[in-house]
Amino acid sequence: MRSIQQRLSLGLISVLLIAGLVLAQSSLWLFDRSLRGYLQTTLQDEAQALLGAFERGPAGVQLDERRLSAAYKRPYSGLYFRIDFADQTWRSRSLWDRDLPRAQHLGLQRELVDGPQGQSWLVLRADYQRFGQQIEIQVARDYTPILNSFRQVQKVGLGLGLAALVLILLLQRVIVSRALRPLEVTRQQLKQLQQGQRNQLDQNVPLELEPLVAQINHLLNHTEETLKRSRNALGNLGHALKTPLAVLVSLASREELKRIPDLHDSLNQQLKQIEQRIARELGRAKLAGEVLPGAHFDCANELPGLFATLTMIHGRHLQLDWHAPGQLRLPWDREDVLELLGNVLDNACKWADSRVQLSVSSGADGYTLCIDDDGPGIEPERRQEVLSRGSRLDEQVAGHGLGLGIVRDIVDVWSGTLQLTDSVLGGLCVQINLPAKRA
Amino acid sequence: MRLLLVEDHVPLADELLVDLNRQGYAIDWLADGRDAAYQGATEPYDLIILDLGLPGKPGLEVLQEWRSNGLSTPVLILTARGSWAERIEGLKAGADDYLTKPFHPEELQLRIQSLLRRAHGLANQPQLEAAGLQLDESRQSVQHKGENVQLTAAEFRLLRYFMLHPGQLLSKSHLAEHLYDGESERDSNVIEVHVNHLRRKLGREIIETRRGQGYRFNGAIP
Repeated sequence: MRSIQQRLSLGLISVLLIAGLVLAQSSLWLFDRSLRGYLQTTLQDEAQALLGAFERGPAGVQLDERRLSAAYKRPYSGLYFRIDFADQTWRSRSLWDRDLPRAQHLGLQRELVDGPQGQSWLVLRADYQRFGQQIEIQVARDYTPILNSFRQVQKVGLGLGLAALVLILLLQRVIVSRALRPLEVTRQQLKQLQQGQRNQLDQNVPLELEPLVAQINHLLNHTEETLKRSRNALGNLGHALKTPLAVLVSLASREELKRIPDLHDSLNQQLKQIEQRIARELGRAKLAGEVLPGAHFDCANELPGLFATLTMIHGRHLQLDWHAPGQLRLPWDREDVLELLGNVLDNACKWADSRVQLSVSSGADGYTLCIDDDGPGIEPERRQEVLSRGSRLDEQVAGHGLGLGIVRDIVDVWSGTLQLTDSVLGGLCVQINLPAKRA
Repeated sequence: MRLLLVEDHVPLADELLVDLNRQGYAIDWLADGRDAAYQGATEPYDLIILDLGLPGKPGLEVLQEWRSNGLSTPVLILTARGSWAERIEGLKAGADDYLTKPFHPEELQLRIQSLLRRAHGLANQPQLEAAGLQLDESRQSVQHKGENVQLTAAEFRLLRYFMLHPGQLLSKSHLAEHLYDGESERDSNVIEVHVNHLRRKLGREIIETRRGQGYRFNGAIP
């Protein structure tokens, strides 16, 4: 897609060029016409003056030399005449060795006639009846100075026009970029939205953008509402299933049933399976994944609460630390990130002897979460097996955590990777690499 | 120990009542959030087990109300809402522990025991120990001078309460309030009888009588 700026410039240039050329050419043409009209009257006056200079001399009709304009006498002066009688022709002296051809029709001639020294003549023919004779007077005037000044005007006009065009284009660029600034602001905000730095677009935009921004905001709200509603519904479903399940678990551990070990074991096993299945599937269904562009997890805000909760659950004998660059925000849904970290850290706490450490860092191509503990760890040859099974790491420690199952689900949804390595603390390090979201 | 159970699912509440009674706890049961908000703040409970999805008033609001009114009784949240975001919310509202449904009855017992010990400054003991005595809460017996002494349910309740409050002066009415639920008859003579039984089993000096004031648990001083 070409930018709006480019489209506007191109359109403006073509419109201005066409309009400018048409305007300049037609105004020149109009000016030429009115000038010729004016010259026609002066030439007519000249013809009249010539007629007035006729007198009856001793040798018949002759021109009174004194009443003739001096320009008729100087060669190639730019003013000429030719008078045709029935039997003779008079020519002005200024014609010198040139001939003024007889004009075809009366009045101002449409075509210019070529003269000497590069002159172009404007010719007028007027017919009179005098002294009982038919007299045909042609007056010519050099038109070159005017043509030359036209050319001059054309050149200057072209230059001025080009300069104006450049100026207009520059101004247009400024105006357009100013007018499009709200668009740019909105574009920036969309980027921030994608990076989780805001969760709504600014409503204060020009009229033209308002429907777009309103629609995007509405969509965001709608998605968030839907997510909240479905999470709530899943929570209710979980509540409705888990409470009776709690009753069943409690019933299953009654003394009467413990006396029938087969039945007791089988019941417990089935109940455990149901419980795990419900927790896993509900957990998966609750994931927001990538649907909310504005979602984010503010490390400095959320991690203290999470660590306080972990301390409460696992007692105070564990030293829990977290490191994250200040102001670091992970561009994923808060509840998803809490679920991921909560489960991994919970697991680490179950295995750790005294220390658990979380470090969050961001790089050029994404984020890295490292969860270290100083527990027994897992032998390298078993790690792949543990990962590929997605099995519970916490089988030997009492508790109802789902271990790595839900963690794997979350990491998969975010197209990240999960690795188990040796920890600097001596135990296991769970390393989660998450790709940055496309902006 | 007197507990308040707030749970609106009747079958689960029935199960828990039977179970916790067997553990020697006196329990009051409420199903409505508004009742719980009132009664939890007025009766002297030693621990409250609170469900979150309650009719009348949400559990979290009840908890916040208690805490903002200065109630410091330990609260264990028992809920089906097990996501980490919800756990953190529960803790922020002032919960002391969080157990998600479904749970094993033993798990709940362990949590209650450790929460009570923690609330009385006896953190991190696998067994309740005070003044030379070791109480086995699952078998309701006490280790005294290397000997295992069996206790009746009433003796066990009384001794557990004494052991959680060593060296404190406890009046008969105070003991009655914390050992019996809101519905049973409170006869202070019964307490006298049980104190005498304990003295017979563990030695006279274990519980001191302050005339007109009450009892003081001194333990088995070697």
